[in-house]
Amino acid sequence: MRILLAEDDPDLSRQLKQALSDADYAVDHAADGEEAHFLGDTEPYDAVILDLGLPKVDGVSVLERWRRDGKQIPVLILTARGSWSEKVAGFDAGADDYLTKPFHTEELLARLRALLRRSAGHAAATLSCGGLRLDPRAARASVNGEPLRLTSLEYRLMHYLMMHQGRVISRTELVEHLYDQDFDRDSNTIEVFVGRVRKKIGPDRIETVRGLGYRLIPLEGEAESA
Amino acid sequence: MKLRDLWGRSLARRLVLLAAVWSLLVLVVSGLVQTALFHQASVTRFDDDLYADAQSLFAGSSVDDQGQVVAPPLTDPAATRAYSGTYWEIAEPAGARLHAAVRSRSLWDSELQPPPGGLAALQAVPGKMIYYTTVGPAHEPLRTAAMLATLPGHAAPVIFMTAEDLTPVEASSKRFALETAVSLIVLGVGLILVVLIQVRVGLGPLFALQREVAAVRTGKADRLDGDYPAEVEPLAAELNALVAHDQEVVERQRTHVGNLAHALKTPLSVMLAEAERHPGPLAEVVSRQADAMRDHVDHHLRRARAAARSQAPRERTAVAPVLEELSHALERIFQDRAVTIDWRCPDGLYFQGERQDLLEILGNVLENACKYSTRRVKAEAKPMGSDRMNIVIEDDGPGLPSERRAEVFKRGERLDENEPGSGLGLSIVDELARAYGGGAALSDSTLGGLRVVLDLPRAES
Repeated sequence: MRILLAEDDPDLSRQLKQALSDADYAVDHAADGEEAHFLGDTEPYDAVILDLGLPKVDGVSVLERWRRDGKQIPVLILTARGSWSEKVAGFDAGADDYLTKPFHTEELLARLRALLRRSAGHAAATLSCGGLRLDPRAARASVNGEPLRLTSLEYRLMHYLMMHQGRVISRTELVEHLYDQDFDRDSNTIEVFVGRVRKKIGPDRIETVRGLGYRLIPLEGEAESA
Repeated sequence: MKLRDLWGRSLARRLVLLAAVWSLLVLVVSGLVQTALFHQASVTRFDDDLYADAQSLFAGSSVDDQGQVVAPPLTDPAATRAYSGTYWEIAEPAGARLHAAVRSRSLWDSELQPPPGGLAALQAVPGKMIYYTTVGPAHEPLRTAAMLATLPGHAAPVIFMTAEDLTPVEASSKRFALETAVSLIVLGVGLILVVLIQVRVGLGPLFALQREVAAVRTGKADRLDGDYPAEVEPLAAELNALVAHDQEVVERQRTHVGNLAHALKTPLSVMLAEAERHPGPLAEVVSRQADAMRDHVDHHLRRARAAARSQAPRERTAVAPVLEELSHALERIFQDRAVTIDWRCPDGLYFQGERQDLLEILGNVLENACKYSTRRVKAEAKPMGSDRMNIVIEDDGPGLPSERRAEVFKRGERLDENEPGSGLGLSIVDELARAYGGGAALSDSTLGGLRVVLDLPRAES
């Protein structure tokens, strides 16, 4: 899952970036409204954390522009003022949730998980697919009740595949959603990760669709209606 | 009485008094002058007649062989009737006094008085007529004309005197004075009435101005829009500038307050996040204190804003759009729990106050209701008379035991520590509503949860 963090305070940005990375998200950071708008416009993020008090272009304007251009990324707004007029303005501009500063990092992560889950159309907090289970709250995955030991990138891959289970996901899409923009992208590494994950969860669960990409196969009769 | 006390504190009184004093002065002086002039003119005419009589007396007189002065046969019958008021006399000087040589029958045996300067005055101007007023034989005011002249054949100069009762002239003067006084009094009263009307009409724009200022103060108008005369227009313009300045100051305060919030909250976020990353006793203290600081900042900032606003509730806000926007936002916030907000509000219901405040009040109550509800939240706004309205918000949550309700409005009270967010919501609601002269009351809802009744000012639609 790849997140855009738009926040101008350097300390808070550093902390949040760290916390998000620790929670196995790929994170890009924008320090002002223009950069945030540009990144959101060009990169396929799974969610955006948007501070309303950004320099150059304020958060509400950035959000309005995205929505006007038809971008549907889920957006969590951060407001310092926390007045209802600001919140309402944020929701009018197309925000999906808000958080008032100061907040606990745990709460931000919880809101973000809920946002990602909702946007992918999942109702339950825990994702499951056949014997596979993934709990984003604890960043833990298991197969048939056995805990899986996954590296951060393996976990991200699993998370993304499970979030979009049953759908064919191209290699490019995976690259875009698993790595942040500073990462040295090499789509071959995806094959390596898929290979490693297959070893851990069983070879048949991830199907390679030639020329198109990968698909996480639900076991018969267990397909979750997404 | 001091002049200040006499003026009083009324402009109208000053204007009327000043006009009255001036009118009175002018009228009295002009009355006196007119009366005096009339009297003088009458006397002059009277004197002319006396002069003519004296001249004809002089022209017709002669001296007989014995050297006695002989008067002409005068035809005026009045002069033959005793004490008739018409007299004549030809006198000779006797020492310093006069001695009547010939006189009219009307004088009987009295004599006409000499002029105030006596014989000397006549001798100083021989041949010239001297007029003076004396008392006549019948004690009437007597106008007398006297002239010293020399008759041919008579060695010593003789004095010719004619006199006439002045009473008719005095009477007509008196009548004239009376008529003048009456007409001037009527004129004076008329003038005062006109001044009164003038003051009313003239000060009218000031009364209109006062009404408009009151309308601005009570929030019925944004600014003064009246069409004022040139003298009042600058005052109205200044007042408008003052109102604008006032609004600007409030706005600026609010911006400062917002900036302060913004400035403090990001560092607090940093502190909280840093504390979370390094768990331990220090982190716990920092985390707890940072939370407390946030609550204090929120509370005092909102209070300051509420205080700044309640002083100038000039604006009015339509209630329905606010409910709609909040419902939209809150249904999105609570979409995991599929909470629906069922709101009802008559069109044209206006809150007497600012949109931000109504958003703040309703936002907090509705958010609280959504937080504790199972699925349904109901909001209904209804007018209560012409200047109040009630907004009732209910939820189908677990409700609140009556003994705990009082705590809700206490500062920073969080009823359920596990609920995310600050417990300040409802206490701020009550404070804001009070700032608008209303309040919030809690009771049980038929839906099962809490029922909050907000009493708020209503603006005329």
